[in-house]
Amino acid sequence: MSTRTTGKKKGISLSRKIEPYLYLAPFAIGVLVFTLYPIINVVLLSFKEGYNFITKDFTSWGFGNYLYVLKDSYFLQAYKNTFMYVFVVIPISTCLSVVIATLLNQKIKFSSLFQTAYFLPMVTSTIAIGFAWRFMFNYKSGVINYLLSFFGVEAINWLQVPQYNFPALCIYGIWAILPFTIILLLSGLQNIDPMYYTAAKVDGAGPIKSFFRITLPLLAPTIFLVLCVNTISTFKVYNELFPLFQGAGIANNMFTVVYYIYYQFRVKSPARYGYAAAAAVLLFITVFIFTMIQRWVEAKTKN
Amino acid sequence: MKITIDHLTKDFGSTIAVNDFSAVIESGELIALLGPSGCGKSTMLNMISGILPSSTGHIYFDEDDVTDVAPEKRGVGLVFQNYALYPHMTVLENIAFPLEIKKVKKAEREAKAIEMAKLVHVDMLLDRKPKQLSGGQQQRVAIARALIKNPRVLLLDEPLSNLDARLRIEMREEIRRIQQETQVTTIFVTHDQEEAMSISDHIVLMKDGFLQQVARPQELYDEPANCFVADFLGNPPINKTHGVIKGGKIVLDGGCEVELEAAKNLPEGKKVTLSMRAEAIVIDEELKNTEGTVVETYVMGKEVLAYVSLGDYKVRAYIPAEKNFGKGQKVTVGLKKRGVFVFDEETGARLA
Repeated sequence: MSTRTTGKKKGISLSRKIEPYLYLAPFAIGVLVFTLYPIINVVLLSFKEGYNFITKDFTSWGFGNYLYVLKDSYFLQAYKNTFMYVFVVIPISTCLSVVIATLLNQKIKFSSLFQTAYFLPMVTSTIAIGFAWRFMFNYKSGVINYLLSFFGVEAINWLQVPQYNFPALCIYGIWAILPFTIILLLSGLQNIDPMYYTAAKVDGAGPIKSFFRITLPLLAPTIFLVLCVNTISTFKVYNELFPLFQGAGIANNMFTVVYYIYYQFRVKSPARYGYAAAAAVLLFITVFIFTMIQRWVEAKTKN
Repeated sequence: MKITIDHLTKDFGSTIAVNDFSAVIESGELIALLGPSGCGKSTMLNMISGILPSSTGHIYFDEDDVTDVAPEKRGVGLVFQNYALYPHMTVLENIAFPLEIKKVKKAEREAKAIEMAKLVHVDMLLDRKPKQLSGGQQQRVAIARALIKNPRVLLLDEPLSNLDARLRIEMREEIRRIQQETQVTTIFVTHDQEEAMSISDHIVLMKDGFLQQVARPQELYDEPANCFVADFLGNPPINKTHGVIKGGKIVLDGGCEVELEAAKNLPEGKKVTLSMRAEAIVIDEELKNTEGTVVETYVMGKEVLAYVSLGDYKVRAYIPAEKNFGKGQKVTVGLKKRGVFVFDEETGARLA
């Protein structure tokens, strides 16, 4: 029980009010300087036409950058590639992860060995793993073509023939995203009380029935979380391009939106900061819309 | 359905949870599996349901040996301690779930589920999710779900332990009512003697994996088979004293001599436990078996709880409120036939 009515105590409560903000300050300042300020700057930059990085001059405010980007065939290709990548990688990786996580959650022998094997990619650098995949994709000596030969599939030149670049990227992308997804789903699975399975078993439910009727519905919140996080991260596909293709592929056919931003920023000379910023804002809007749709669907299915 | 349990044993490595357990449970009865925590009663229940396999021994449902039959094929309805209602399903879906598994048509299984919901009085909550229900309501839904398959036996694992005191009394009467209406053989696990005494037809009392006694509640109270049974039942706890048979009397530690008809036939020098229920002790009345000293009295309204010292022991006794004894007053103590037991001190077996 506290009573604070006197003037003196009001003074104390004012400094008390400031105190929490002081604790928050170090982090808040970091976010302001390194996150919020750049974001705002990118948005402003995207509307500055004819921007000069050295002099910080620009000719006018307007939609010029956007108009250019939206007509640029590289950007359109990048946008299309990114979308296709998301639409291939997300469903396949999510389904695979649910199955693998469910299996890992069983009491099987060597389950910790399997868990380690599945999670290893997470603690290894994307680039290092990418190079390993590059060897595996190798036309002549790659293990993937070797394995495919058992099924009578002719050797595929994954990395040098443009039409196979996209499948190669997707295979690698799916594999790379699995560990993180499996970890999240596994923790979701471990939160399901085993009592429900016992109850379902006594009621006569087999493993398939209890998977669809018990596991999936109870895992749904985690699946939505995974979908949301992974969609955002796959929209930003970029790193994966370098070890496999050293960039955008042999025919410049593997542009993604983030690669396009990099291209306007670094590859092109002089650098086109305005175009890069406009592309970044367009990507942000796309991801934002997608996330909103997902949240809306999640809210719908909850009821 | 009659359940016969024949020399059933369950060991988990070195610990034996249920030890050579044999009992017969008559059809249509409400049975309490009673015992202190860790006595193996839940293990027993899980073996009857089939969730746990038994190590040795057999279980028969009527004439069928179900020892190696899977739980879903035994025809048991199981109510879990935490109810285990599926959180993502409505009450109606929860109750209908066992029939959904059996691929019963939707209209049919819902009609049956509504019928069950009416039996347990949750028919106005069909669209709710388990989270939106009180503990008692969840319990009712769990019972309805267990009963919808027309099980041969209904098993309840500590059905009342998660409820508050008032709901507990209400729900135990409800379990009795539902059992009476459906006439399904029902076994429930409890560690609460009052719960077991109040609603069951027979009580199966266990300790350390061993069956102690199977009897009707009153019989268990009046004629305990051994010292543990006498100790376990009754509130306040039975007065327990130790002594030796000398000259046809029981001499308690501390030298108090108790004359007891039943002690006359016991061998000289036998170490015995004399247990007396508080209501079996009378003070300063015609009946006189020994003498003692009043140590303390507590006025309880309609009666007085008196502590009387007999040798080294202090025993509780209820005396009429109009009689009043001062501290330190010497009194005669009488022991009624009913509620006074003599046990072998070593084995705990009942001698008289």
